[in-house]
Amino acid sequence: MKPRSTRAVLLGGSIAVLLAVLGAAAWIGYDAGEDEADELFDARLATSARVLGALYATQPPRAAGAPIVVSFPAPLEETRHDEAGPLGHHYETKIAFQVIDAQGRLLMRSASAPPAPYAPLAPGFSTQRDWRVFTLRSGEHWVQAAERDDVRGELSGKLALAAVAPLIVGIPLVLLLLTLLMEYGLAPLAHLAQRIAQREPASLAPIVLPRSTAEIEPVLKELNGLLERVQSALARERRFTADAAHELRTPLAALKVHAQNAVRAGSEPERRASLERMLAGLERSIRLVEQMLALSRAAARAPAAERVPLQQAVEDALEDVLPALKGRGIRVSVATEPSAPEPVVRGERDKLACLARNLLDNAARYAPPGSSVRLELASRDGAARLSVSDQGPGIAPELRERVFESYYRIPGAAGEGSGLGLAIVREIAAQHGATVELGEGDGGRGARFTVTFPPAA
Amino acid sequence: MRLLLVEDDELLGAGIEDALTRARCGVEWVRSGPLALAALEHGGFDAVVLDLGLPGMDGLEVLRRARAAGNAAPVLILSARDAVAQRVAGLDAGADDYLTKPFDVDELLARVRALRRRLHGAAHNVLEHGRVRLDLGALSVTHDGRPVPLQRREFMLLQKLLAAPGQVMTRAQLEESLYGWDGNVESNALDVHVHNLRKKLYPGVIRTVRGIGYVADPA
Repeated sequence: MKPRSTRAVLLGGSIAVLLAVLGAAAWIGYDAGEDEADELFDARLATSARVLGALYATQPPRAAGAPIVVSFPAPLEETRHDEAGPLGHHYETKIAFQVIDAQGRLLMRSASAPPAPYAPLAPGFSTQRDWRVFTLRSGEHWVQAAERDDVRGELSGKLALAAVAPLIVGIPLVLLLLTLLMEYGLAPLAHLAQRIAQREPASLAPIVLPRSTAEIEPVLKELNGLLERVQSALARERRFTADAAHELRTPLAALKVHAQNAVRAGSEPERRASLERMLAGLERSIRLVEQMLALSRAAARAPAAERVPLQQAVEDALEDVLPALKGRGIRVSVATEPSAPEPVVRGERDKLACLARNLLDNAARYAPPGSSVRLELASRDGAARLSVSDQGPGIAPELRERVFESYYRIPGAAGEGSGLGLAIVREIAAQHGATVELGEGDGGRGARFTVTFPPAA
Repeated sequence: MRLLLVEDDELLGAGIEDALTRARCGVEWVRSGPLALAALEHGGFDAVVLDLGLPGMDGLEVLRRARAAGNAAPVLILSARDAVAQRVAGLDAGADDYLTKPFDVDELLARVRALRRRLHGAAHNVLEHGRVRLDLGALSVTHDGRPVPLQRREFMLLQKLLAAPGQVMTRAQLEESLYGWDGNVESNALDVHVHNLRKKLYPGVIRTVRGIGYVADPA
């Protein structure tokens, strides 16, 4: 469906409203004019009849015979409408009177009146065909004054027309003005469309309009907000790709060197040693790629918002990491608070398990063999808390921020970590609105990571 | 040829060490910037293979300081930083060559040989000494055109002496060149190698300088 044009709606609506107003004004004008004209004309008709009756009464009685006919001067009939002349007015033909005696005989009439009474001889106003008639009993006589009805209609019509005429002239002006104002008002929209159309696909700079309006400002703000978010997401992706390419170079170089060494080995033990190192390099590369994907996935999508018992996520993680921990002779203890409510996090089980797995993996990697890793699950005022303490070398205070950066490895640290585990932890924690604190482990030894989640409402 | 390898990645370092050792080079491997600087100060290397991302001190900084201290050992940078600007920065900091990871082992060895040539002002990879011919590329030695199979350390010793004919090398210099710093050198190991070389080539190829060391007299 073609979208409706705001311009057309506004213009069409304005025309409809204007026409309605015009119609109402005309109708009201006509109606009011007609009422006023009726009153005025009726009063005049009555007065005329009365004056005529009074005047006739002063006449000496006449013998019966042909009635007196008051005729108009001949040119009056031919004068044009609406024109007053020196002899009278054309409209006089539209006004008539009759004087009738008690027997119904016509005594006197105007030339415009018929030779028979207009109306039944009853006092008062009546309307006979096209004539408005006032019948008056004046002494022995009846006087009937009449006037053509259309005179009145014409008058009220003219009054109504006079009332709406300025409006009719005004409508095109109003519409023109409206069109211009709309053009002005909608110009920023057109500008916006133009700016977007002219944009290079790679350009994500905010859109700036020469002039904005209150209506378009929110659209512009949201659009620029979106551009900014796309920009930062794109920058993050690019950084991730560049970092990944850079970080893969060293393990790939190691793989290649060992492969070439194996191919060229002078003896079987040499070849075997090179192949074994190559396998170790492969393991490391695989883990690095897995961690890269884990970080990318963690960052790509917001977590679900289920109610996840923290213990479940931790158990998922332990299942994955336990073999590695056991392999290094590291004991794991999980401490919960039996009396306290079960710690619950609002989020996604898989992601939370990934967070716990990376914390445990970190402990497994750097804690000395035979040491123990302590997991604590707690709940404070509905806010779940997970802490992982190890007895490893710990992390110097000045490095406690840097270790969360992607690909950062503590210089000279043992183990072949990817440098991504803690970046993944931080990313997932941030997505769950949680904070990660890094401090010393139990008794000032080793490291302790504490993840505090917001209350799972 | 004695090389200093500066690489903090265990696996890659081990691979390069293997490759260089098999190419009959003596390799000293250090894993941090400060250690690299100390090794360079100590000297005695024909070439340096230097990684840039090092703990303690960046490789470029190591290079700048070594050059500022007048160290002229040829340096090949081995780095994951592959942008042109980074290569330029490396070369400007005093590197003689730049190789990006991942690389080909043969190319690394060829470039190391090229560094040696430059150090000795030689145009090719062959050291000729009378009728003895030592080919650093093929890792072979001939005497009168007849191939002479040599052990790795015999090859290294011969190369060290032939590279500077007439220049007397002390026992300590030669031992370090053959065994590096951490080798538990038997007191007569050097003499055994000299003995073997004289037997495999001809007795006069190496002359003993009593109380000091050995020399290969100009042919």
